[in-house]
Amino acid sequence: MKALLRQSAVLIALALLPAVVQALYLREKIPWQSRVAESDFVEVDTARGWAANVIWVDARPSEEFERDHIPGAVSLNEDRWVEGLSQFLGTQWSPEKKIVVYCSAASCNLAEDVARRLREEAKLPNDIRILKGGWEAWLAKK
Amino acid sequence: MNGQRFLFSGALCFFLAASAPAALVFEKTELDLNPELGASKVDAVFKYENKGDTPVHIKAVKPSCGCTTAALAKNDVAPGEKGEITATFNIGDRTGTQVKTITVDTDDPKTPQTVLKFTATIAQILDLQPTFVFWQAGEATQPKMIIAKAAKGVTVKKVDVVSSSGDFTAKVDPGATAGEFKIEIQPKATTKPLNTTLTIKPDVTPAKVYYASARVLPPGTAKP
Repeated sequence: MKALLRQSAVLIALALLPAVVQALYLREKIPWQSRVAESDFVEVDTARGWAANVIWVDARPSEEFERDHIPGAVSLNEDRWVEGLSQFLGTQWSPEKKIVVYCSAASCNLAEDVARRLREEAKLPNDIRILKGGWEAWLAKK
Repeated sequence: MNGQRFLFSGALCFFLAASAPAALVFEKTELDLNPELGASKVDAVFKYENKGDTPVHIKAVKPSCGCTTAALAKNDVAPGEKGEITATFNIGDRTGTQVKTITVDTDDPKTPQTVLKFTATIAQILDLQPTFVFWQAGEATQPKMIIAKAAKGVTVKKVDVVSSSGDFTAKVDPGATAGEFKIEIQPKATTKPLNTTLTIKPDVTPAKVYYASARVLPPGTAKP
Protein backbone atom coordinates (compact mmCIF):
# COMPACT_ATOMS: atom_id res chain seq x y z
CA MET A 1 0.00 0.00 0.00
CA LYS A 2 2.85 2.32 0.97
CA ALA A 3 4.64 1.57 -2.30
CA LEU A 4 1.47 2.29 -4.29
CA LEU A 5 1.10 5.69 -2.64
CA ARG A 6 4.78 6.48 -3.29
CA GLN A 7 4.47 5.51 -6.94
CA SER A 8 1.28 7.57 -7.30
CA ALA A 9 3.08 10.56 -5.81
CA VAL A 10 5.93 10.11 -8.32
CA LEU A 11 3.45 10.03 -11.21
CA ILE A 12 1.63 13.13 -9.97
CA ALA A 13 4.94 14.95 -9.55
CA LEU A 14 5.97 13.96 -13.09
CA ALA A 15 2.73 15.31 -14.48
CA LEU A 16 2.80 18.43 -12.33
CA LEU A 17 6.37 19.51 -13.09
CA PRO A 18 5.93 20.45 -16.80
CA ALA A 19 2.53 21.98 -16.02
CA VAL A 20 4.00 24.26 -13.35
CA VAL A 21 6.97 25.24 -15.56
CA GLN A 22 4.63 26.02 -18.45
CA ALA A 23 2.22 28.00 -16.26
CA LEU A 24 5.06 30.11 -14.84
CA TYR A 25 6.70 30.66 -18.23
CA LEU A 26 3.48 31.52 -20.04
CA ARG A 27 1.78 33.37 -17.21
CA GLU A 28 1.67 36.65 -19.16
CA LYS A 29 0.77 34.96 -22.42
CA ILE A 30 -2.29 32.94 -21.56
CA PRO A 31 -4.45 33.41 -24.68
CA TRP A 32 -7.76 33.64 -22.90
CA GLN A 33 -6.59 36.56 -20.80
CA SER A 34 -8.64 39.53 -21.99
CA ARG A 35 -7.02 42.93 -22.53
CA VAL A 36 -10.23 44.49 -21.30
CA ALA A 37 -11.47 44.91 -17.73
CA GLU A 38 -14.59 42.92 -16.84
CA SER A 39 -16.37 46.19 -16.01
CA ASP A 40 -16.04 47.28 -19.65
CA PHE A 41 -18.34 44.47 -20.76
CA VAL A 42 -22.11 44.52 -20.66
CA GLU A 43 -24.57 41.62 -20.83
CA VAL A 44 -27.18 41.54 -23.61
CA ASP A 45 -30.11 41.90 -21.21
CA THR A 46 -28.60 44.92 -19.45
CA ALA A 47 -27.80 46.67 -22.73
CA ARG A 48 -31.29 45.96 -24.04
CA GLY A 49 -32.69 47.54 -20.90
CA TRP A 50 -31.03 50.83 -21.85
CA ALA A 51 -33.46 50.96 -24.78
CA ALA A 52 -33.28 54.28 -26.64
CA ASN A 53 -30.41 55.50 -24.49
CA VAL A 54 -27.87 53.36 -26.32
CA ILE A 55 -25.98 53.56 -29.61
CA TRP A 56 -25.12 50.10 -30.94
CA VAL A 57 -21.82 49.99 -32.85
CA ASP A 58 -21.19 46.97 -35.06
CA ALA A 59 -17.41 46.37 -35.32
CA ARG A 60 -17.69 43.38 -37.67
CA PRO A 61 -16.66 43.62 -41.33
CA SER A 62 -19.19 45.52 -43.47
CA GLU A 63 -20.36 42.36 -45.32
CA GLU A 64 -21.39 40.76 -42.03
CA PHE A 65 -23.16 43.95 -40.96
CA GLU A 66 -25.05 44.06 -44.25
CA ARG A 67 -26.14 40.44 -43.82
CA ASP A 68 -27.73 41.16 -40.46
CA HIS A 69 -27.18 43.33 -37.40
CA ILE A 70 -28.77 44.59 -34.20
CA PRO A 71 -31.67 46.90 -35.15
CA GLY A 72 -30.49 50.51 -35.31
CA ALA A 73 -26.80 49.59 -35.13
CA VAL A 74 -24.14 51.66 -36.86
CA SER A 75 -21.35 49.94 -38.81
CA LEU A 76 -17.92 51.11 -37.64
CA ASN A 77 -14.96 48.83 -38.25
CA GLU A 78 -11.23 49.27 -38.68
CA ASP A 79 -11.30 48.25 -42.36
CA ARG A 80 -12.90 51.63 -43.17
CA TRP A 81 -12.18 53.52 -39.98
CA VAL A 82 -11.63 57.06 -41.28
CA GLU A 83 -14.77 57.18 -43.39
CA GLY A 84 -16.86 55.27 -40.84
CA LEU A 85 -15.77 57.34 -37.84
CA SER A 86 -16.34 60.65 -39.61
CA GLN A 87 -19.85 59.53 -40.61
CA PHE A 88 -20.61 58.20 -37.13
CA LEU A 89 -19.44 61.32 -35.29
CA GLY A 90 -21.09 63.68 -37.77
CA THR A 91 -24.52 62.08 -37.68
CA GLN A 92 -25.39 59.29 -35.21
CA TRP A 93 -23.19 60.14 -32.22
CA SER A 94 -24.70 61.85 -29.20
CA PRO A 95 -22.77 62.66 -26.01
CA GLU A 96 -25.35 61.57 -23.46
CA LYS A 97 -25.98 58.07 -24.79
CA LYS A 98 -24.20 54.87 -23.84
CA ILE A 99 -22.26 53.17 -26.62
CA VAL A 100 -22.24 49.38 -26.89
CA VAL A 101 -19.73 47.90 -29.35
CA TYR A 102 -20.03 44.32 -30.54
CA CYS A 103 -18.34 41.87 -32.90
CA SER A 104 -19.21 38.33 -33.89
CA ALA A 105 -18.52 36.31 -30.73
CA ALA A 106 -16.76 36.26 -27.38
CA SER A 107 -13.55 35.10 -29.10
CA CYS A 108 -13.25 38.10 -31.45
CA ASN A 109 -11.42 41.24 -30.39
CA LEU A 110 -12.62 43.69 -33.06
CA ALA A 111 -15.05 45.30 -30.60
CA GLU A 112 -12.23 45.81 -28.08
CA ASP A 113 -10.16 47.66 -30.69
CA VAL A 114 -13.05 49.88 -31.80
CA ALA A 115 -14.01 50.67 -28.19
CA ARG A 116 -10.38 51.51 -27.38
CA ARG A 117 -10.13 53.92 -30.32
CA LEU A 118 -13.39 55.66 -29.44
CA ARG A 119 -12.14 56.16 -25.88
CA GLU A 120 -8.45 56.90 -26.44
CA GLU A 121 -8.32 58.58 -29.84
CA ALA A 122 -11.69 60.31 -30.24
CA LYS A 123 -11.88 60.80 -26.44
CA LEU A 124 -15.65 60.40 -26.47
CA PRO A 125 -17.20 61.25 -23.10
CA ASN A 126 -19.75 58.43 -23.37
CA ASP A 127 -19.99 55.30 -21.25
CA ILE A 128 -18.53 52.85 -23.81
CA ARG A 129 -19.05 49.10 -23.27
CA ILE A 130 -18.39 45.88 -25.14
CA LEU A 131 -21.25 43.44 -25.61
CA LYS A 132 -20.38 40.23 -23.80
CA GLY A 133 -20.55 37.31 -26.24
CA GLY A 134 -21.09 39.68 -29.19
CA TRP A 135 -23.53 39.06 -32.01
CA GLU A 136 -23.80 35.34 -31.09
CA ALA A 137 -25.02 36.25 -27.61
CA TRP A 138 -27.53 38.71 -29.08
CA LEU A 139 -28.89 36.03 -31.44
CA ALA A 140 -29.16 33.53 -28.59
CA LYS A 141 -31.35 35.97 -26.65
CA LYS A 142 -33.39 37.11 -29.64
CA MET B 1 3.95 -6.39 -5.66
CA ASN B 2 4.18 -7.48 -9.32
CA GLY B 3 0.72 -6.08 -9.84
CA GLN B 4 1.82 -2.74 -8.44
CA ARG B 5 4.91 -2.69 -10.68
CA PHE B 6 2.69 -3.48 -13.64
CA LEU B 7 0.34 -0.63 -12.71
CA PHE B 8 3.24 1.79 -12.23
CA SER B 9 4.88 0.83 -15.54
CA GLY B 10 1.57 1.07 -17.36
CA ALA B 11 0.81 4.50 -15.91
CA LEU B 12 4.35 5.70 -16.71
CA CYS B 13 4.04 4.50 -20.33
CA PHE B 14 0.67 6.26 -20.60
CA PHE B 15 2.13 9.47 -19.19
CA LEU B 16 5.12 9.38 -21.54
CA ALA B 17 2.92 8.60 -24.55
CA ALA B 18 0.55 11.40 -23.62
CA SER B 19 3.38 13.88 -23.27
CA ALA B 20 5.06 12.93 -26.59
CA PRO B 21 5.22 15.92 -28.96
CA ALA B 22 2.73 16.29 -31.78
CA ALA B 23 3.90 15.52 -35.29
CA LEU B 24 3.63 19.08 -36.60
CA VAL B 25 5.59 21.28 -34.21
CA PHE B 26 5.75 25.07 -34.56
CA GLU B 27 8.95 26.87 -33.59
CA LYS B 28 6.79 29.64 -32.08
CA THR B 29 3.02 29.91 -31.90
CA GLU B 30 3.10 33.54 -30.76
CA LEU B 31 4.96 36.42 -32.41
CA ASP B 32 5.38 40.09 -31.54
CA LEU B 33 5.60 42.39 -34.56
CA ASN B 34 6.75 45.99 -34.72
CA PRO B 35 5.98 47.22 -38.24
CA GLU B 36 7.91 50.19 -39.59
CA LEU B 37 6.29 53.61 -39.18
CA GLY B 38 3.82 54.18 -41.99
CA ALA B 39 4.02 50.56 -43.23
CA SER B 40 0.87 49.36 -44.99
CA LYS B 41 1.39 45.69 -44.13
CA VAL B 42 3.56 43.35 -42.10
CA ASP B 43 4.32 39.63 -42.28
CA ALA B 44 4.25 37.11 -39.44
CA VAL B 45 6.21 33.96 -40.34
CA PHE B 46 5.43 30.83 -38.33
CA LYS B 47 8.00 28.04 -38.91
CA TYR B 48 7.07 24.42 -38.41
CA GLU B 49 8.59 20.95 -38.65
CA ASN B 50 7.03 17.52 -38.88
CA LYS B 51 8.73 15.76 -35.98
CA GLY B 52 6.58 12.65 -36.28
CA ASP B 53 7.15 9.61 -38.46
CA THR B 54 4.04 9.94 -40.64
CA PRO B 55 3.08 12.66 -43.16
CA VAL B 56 0.79 15.44 -41.94
CA HIS B 57 -1.82 17.05 -44.15
CA ILE B 58 -2.67 20.69 -43.39
CA LYS B 59 -6.39 20.88 -44.10
CA ALA B 60 -7.01 24.58 -43.58
CA VAL B 61 -5.36 27.80 -42.46
CA LYS B 62 -7.95 30.29 -41.22
CA PRO B 63 -7.11 33.88 -40.18
CA SER B 64 -9.34 35.45 -37.53
CA CYS B 65 -9.83 38.64 -39.46
CA GLY B 66 -10.40 39.71 -43.07
CA CYS B 67 -7.40 42.00 -42.60
CA THR B 68 -5.03 39.00 -42.52
CA THR B 69 -4.20 36.56 -45.32
CA ALA B 70 -2.28 33.36 -44.70
CA ALA B 71 -0.06 31.71 -47.30
CA LEU B 72 1.08 28.11 -47.21
CA ALA B 73 3.66 26.72 -49.67
CA LYS B 74 2.28 23.17 -49.53
CA ASN B 75 -0.37 21.25 -47.65
CA ASP B 76 1.43 17.92 -47.21
CA VAL B 77 4.37 17.79 -44.82
CA ALA B 78 6.60 14.71 -44.91
CA PRO B 79 8.31 13.41 -41.72
CA GLY B 80 11.30 15.61 -40.92
CA GLU B 81 10.22 18.27 -43.41
CA LYS B 82 10.26 21.94 -42.42
CA GLY B 83 8.08 24.75 -43.72
CA GLU B 84 6.39 28.00 -42.81
CA ILE B 85 3.05 29.75 -42.79
CA THR B 86 3.22 33.43 -43.69
CA ALA B 87 0.42 35.59 -42.36
CA THR B 88 0.23 39.02 -43.99
CA PHE B 89 -1.51 41.63 -41.88
CA ASN B 90 -2.89 44.60 -43.84
CA ILE B 91 -2.56 47.49 -41.42
CA GLY B 92 -4.85 49.98 -43.17
CA ASP B 93 -6.12 52.59 -40.70
CA ARG B 94 -5.39 50.42 -37.70
CA THR B 95 -3.46 51.76 -34.73
CA GLY B 96 -2.20 50.58 -31.36
CA THR B 97 -1.88 46.96 -30.30
CA GLN B 98 -3.54 44.52 -32.65
CA VAL B 99 -3.88 40.85 -31.74
CA LYS B 100 -4.78 38.44 -34.54
CA THR B 101 -4.91 34.66 -34.75
CA ILE B 102 -4.55 32.03 -37.46
CA THR B 103 -6.11 28.62 -36.89
CA VAL B 104 -4.30 25.68 -38.50
CA ASP B 105 -6.31 22.46 -38.99
CA THR B 106 -4.41 19.24 -39.72
CA ASP B 107 -5.15 15.51 -39.94
CA ASP B 108 -2.73 14.90 -37.04
CA PRO B 109 -4.97 13.16 -34.46
CA LYS B 110 -2.75 14.35 -31.61
CA THR B 111 -2.99 18.05 -32.46
CA PRO B 112 -5.79 18.50 -34.99
CA GLN B 113 -5.84 22.25 -34.41
CA THR B 114 -3.16 24.82 -33.56
CA VAL B 115 -3.88 28.48 -32.96
CA LEU B 116 -1.09 30.83 -34.02
CA LYS B 117 -1.16 34.33 -32.65
CA PHE B 118 0.64 37.57 -33.47
CA THR B 119 0.58 40.90 -31.69
CA ALA B 120 1.38 43.90 -33.89
CA THR B 121 2.17 47.22 -32.26
CA ILE B 122 1.34 49.93 -34.78
CA ALA B 123 2.87 53.31 -34.10
CA GLN B 124 1.60 56.42 -35.87
CA ILE B 125 3.82 58.98 -37.64
CA LEU B 126 1.54 61.65 -36.23
CA ASP B 127 -0.44 61.13 -33.04
CA LEU B 128 -3.59 63.26 -32.73
CA GLN B 129 -5.12 63.93 -29.32
CA PRO B 130 -8.09 63.96 -29.55
CA THR B 131 -9.36 63.12 -33.04
CA PHE B 132 -12.75 64.70 -32.29
CA VAL B 133 -13.96 67.94 -30.73
CA PHE B 134 -17.53 69.15 -30.29
CA TRP B 135 -19.63 72.05 -29.04
CA GLN B 136 -23.06 71.93 -27.45
CA ALA B 137 -25.72 74.07 -29.17
CA GLY B 138 -25.47 77.62 -27.90
CA GLU B 139 -22.03 77.08 -26.32
CA ALA B 140 -19.51 79.91 -26.74
CA THR B 141 -17.64 79.65 -30.03
CA GLN B 142 -14.32 79.29 -28.26
CA PRO B 143 -11.65 77.39 -30.22
CA LYS B 144 -10.91 73.81 -29.17
CA MET B 145 -7.53 72.22 -29.48
CA ILE B 146 -6.13 69.10 -31.08
CA ILE B 147 -2.47 68.33 -30.36
CA ALA B 148 -0.54 66.69 -33.20
CA LYS B 149 2.70 65.06 -32.12
CA ALA B 150 5.26 63.42 -34.40
CA ALA B 151 6.53 59.98 -33.43
CA LYS B 152 10.00 59.62 -31.91
CA GLY B 153 12.64 59.75 -34.64
CA VAL B 154 10.31 61.36 -37.20
CA THR B 155 10.96 64.94 -38.33
CA VAL B 156 7.82 66.97 -38.98
CA LYS B 157 8.40 70.67 -39.55
CA LYS B 158 5.01 71.64 -40.91
CA VAL B 159 1.43 70.45 -40.71
CA ASP B 160 -1.33 71.60 -43.07
CA VAL B 161 -4.94 71.42 -41.94
CA VAL B 162 -7.96 71.83 -44.22
CA SER B 163 -11.58 71.84 -43.04
CA SER B 164 -14.16 70.24 -45.34
CA SER B 165 -16.70 72.85 -44.23
CA GLY B 166 -16.41 76.63 -44.36
CA ASP B 167 -18.40 76.74 -41.11
CA PHE B 168 -15.22 75.98 -39.19
CA THR B 169 -11.79 77.59 -39.20
CA ALA B 170 -8.58 75.74 -38.42
CA LYS B 171 -5.29 77.30 -37.31
CA VAL B 172 -1.96 75.56 -36.74
CA ASP B 173 0.66 76.81 -34.25
CA PRO B 174 3.93 75.22 -33.12
CA GLY B 175 3.61 73.25 -29.89
CA ALA B 176 5.78 73.14 -26.79
CA THR B 177 8.42 70.87 -28.34
CA ALA B 178 9.83 70.17 -31.80
CA GLY B 179 7.47 67.99 -33.82
CA GLU B 180 4.44 69.10 -31.79
CA PHE B 181 1.65 71.28 -33.22
CA LYS B 182 -1.45 72.89 -31.76
CA ILE B 183 -4.43 72.77 -34.09
CA GLU B 184 -7.17 75.20 -33.07
CA ILE B 185 -10.65 74.53 -34.45
CA GLN B 186 -13.42 77.05 -34.16
CA PRO B 187 -17.02 77.00 -35.43
CA LYS B 188 -18.44 80.23 -36.85
CA ALA B 189 -21.64 79.68 -34.87
CA THR B 190 -23.16 77.19 -32.45
CA THR B 191 -26.78 78.03 -33.13
CA LYS B 192 -27.33 75.20 -35.61
CA PRO B 193 -25.90 71.69 -36.11
CA LEU B 194 -22.61 71.68 -38.03
CA ASN B 195 -19.88 69.19 -38.72
CA THR B 196 -16.61 69.00 -40.54
CA THR B 197 -13.79 66.64 -41.36
CA LEU B 198 -10.28 68.01 -40.91
CA THR B 199 -7.63 66.74 -43.28
CA ILE B 200 -4.24 66.90 -41.58
CA LYS B 201 -1.09 66.55 -43.68
CA PRO B 202 2.36 66.46 -42.08
CA ASP B 203 5.34 67.19 -44.38
CA VAL B 204 6.62 63.61 -44.43
CA THR B 205 7.73 61.37 -47.29
CA PRO B 206 5.94 59.26 -48.36
CA ALA B 207 2.92 61.49 -47.87
CA LYS B 208 0.51 60.46 -45.16
CA VAL B 209 -2.87 61.99 -44.38
CA TYR B 210 -4.67 61.98 -41.03
CA TYR B 211 -8.22 62.96 -40.17
CA ALA B 212 -10.08 64.52 -37.28
CA SER B 213 -13.69 65.58 -36.87
CA ALA B 214 -15.49 68.53 -35.30
CA ARG B 215 -19.18 69.01 -34.67
CA VAL B 216 -21.74 71.42 -33.27
CA LEU B 217 -24.56 69.36 -31.72
CA PRO B 218 -28.23 69.98 -32.48
CA PRO B 219 -30.19 72.12 -29.98
CA GLY B 220 -31.75 70.02 -27.23
CA THR B 221 -28.91 67.48 -27.06
CA ALA B 222 -28.28 66.60 -23.44
CA LYS B 223 -24.82 67.04 -21.96
CA PRO B 224 -22.73 63.92 -21.22
